[in-house]
Amino acid sequence: MSDLTFLMGKFEARIPTDRLYSDNHLWLQPDGESGIYRVGFTAYSVRLLQDVYFLEWSVDPNSAVYKKQEIGEVESSKAVSSLFAPANGDILDFNERLLDDPSAINTDGYGLGWLFRLKTDVQFLKPDEYMQHLDAGWEKTQSLIKGQYN
Amino acid sequence: MAARKLTVVISQSQGKNPAKQQLEESLAVALLSEGNVEVSLVPHLYDLSADHSGMLFLRSIPGDLIVLSWLYPRGARWILDRQGIRGHEGISQLTSRSEDPEDEDDHREGNGNGKPKHEQPVSGLTDLPNRKIYCIDLRDHTDSQAYLDEIRRIANEATLPIVDLVSLIQAQPRAEQLEKYLHPLDILAEQKSATPLSDDDDAPANGEIVRRRWYPVIDYSRCTNCMECIDFCLFGVYGLDTQGLILVEQQDNCKKGCPACSRVCPANAIVFPGHKTPAIAGADGEVGDMKIDLSKLFGAPSAVELAARERDVELVRDGRDAVGLEIGIPRRLKDKPVKPRDELDDLIDSLDAMEL
Repeated sequence: MSDLTFLMGKFEARIPTDRLYSDNHLWLQPDGESGIYRVGFTAYSVRLLQDVYFLEWSVDPNSAVYKKQEIGEVESSKAVSSLFAPANGDILDFNERLLDDPSAINTDGYGLGWLFRLKTDVQFLKPDEYMQHLDAGWEKTQSLIKGQYN
Repeated sequence: MAARKLTVVISQSQGKNPAKQQLEESLAVALLSEGNVEVSLVPHLYDLSADHSGMLFLRSIPGDLIVLSWLYPRGARWILDRQGIRGHEGISQLTSRSEDPEDEDDHREGNGNGKPKHEQPVSGLTDLPNRKIYCIDLRDHTDSQAYLDEIRRIANEATLPIVDLVSLIQAQPRAEQLEKYLHPLDILAEQKSATPLSDDDDAPANGEIVRRRWYPVIDYSRCTNCMECIDFCLFGVYGLDTQGLILVEQQDNCKKGCPACSRVCPANAIVFPGHKTPAIAGADGEVGDMKIDLSKLFGAPSAVELAARERDVELVRDGRDAVGLEIGIPRRLKDKPVKPRDELDDLIDSLDAMEL
């Protein structure tokens, strides 16, 4: 099945169908044994962030985390943001190569730009469900962006 | 007539950061040679207990006062207020390197004398002694010159004599205690020559034990006495004075690192000067630059969720039951009305305009 596309204005955010999604705009791809996922920013996130300059994690590898727990920070050309765990589980490790040079987030966000590996038994959104989630939140996201600019 | 003396108090940093100590020292040395300025050093303001001689010294200063500290001015001002060191808010013209001076001026005028923009404060701004207290953040500049220039400017501004006796009365330091603060270089020398007993960061700067503390201070220029903090905090930090005014009563009941009450305060009047988040530590107005904060998008919990969780962590640590959102959460936050959304106007234009 081919990738889905979410339109952000004129920009087409690609949503691959080979993985799952969290409501906080991360993708999760099963990685080897069951319950272990590779996690990264969706094209939607990356479009809002633009060029990522700096990525920092505030939890250690092999840490238990809970949904919405603050786990790190990202700074990009357009945004600064804290990052939060997508679900209860354990963060196994982080993508070390991003710490020196996070540019893979922009160049290969669905591949080499993965952020961390998470072990969890939580159910995530299927691609079409994530598309609905994007649809439902798009207006609000724009308000968020405009609100902060105005 | 001779100009009235201006007192400059340098509140030392908590740790042993050499760059910070260097700035404190160079300021102290430079100010000692100023004719119309008295200079003193005290340990970190936030950590001083009410009966610490540094605090007694601060209380004994009758006239205009400049406090240089590693704190946001709003944090420093309300720490002093809680300790009974009051005066009209002196407005420093010093702006930090990273800020646009024009914006800053506008902002400070708008907030002059701590007047709130929307709500009426309940109290705290009346019966102030007739003197000014200037609180200056030592993190604004790394070079001492900017501070010296501003202190000279204030010294010139403060040449009109005033009379104030009230603030003299409360507590007088003993002569030998006062002596330490009247000869600040001796403190520096003592610190340098003292053989460190341990690597303890809390080692006293001047012979008296100063431990790191953690507690809220209330910005009474914003506080509306709504009582949400006293309802929310389950550790007995807050109390009421005889007039029914909210008060940080049991400072040291507060849970180290927990800023939860500050998050539920509708007036943003609760300051934790030691918190890492500028808005909670007393930074004025908007912090940061023009970048968007996408934290909400990436799943940031709401302030009330965060506050409840922080409180639960402390309750469990004390062997009590977590209460989640069940207790002391203002109805205002529970039944949040749906906010009217922005019109869905030309989204493409707005996004493309900012090159998103």
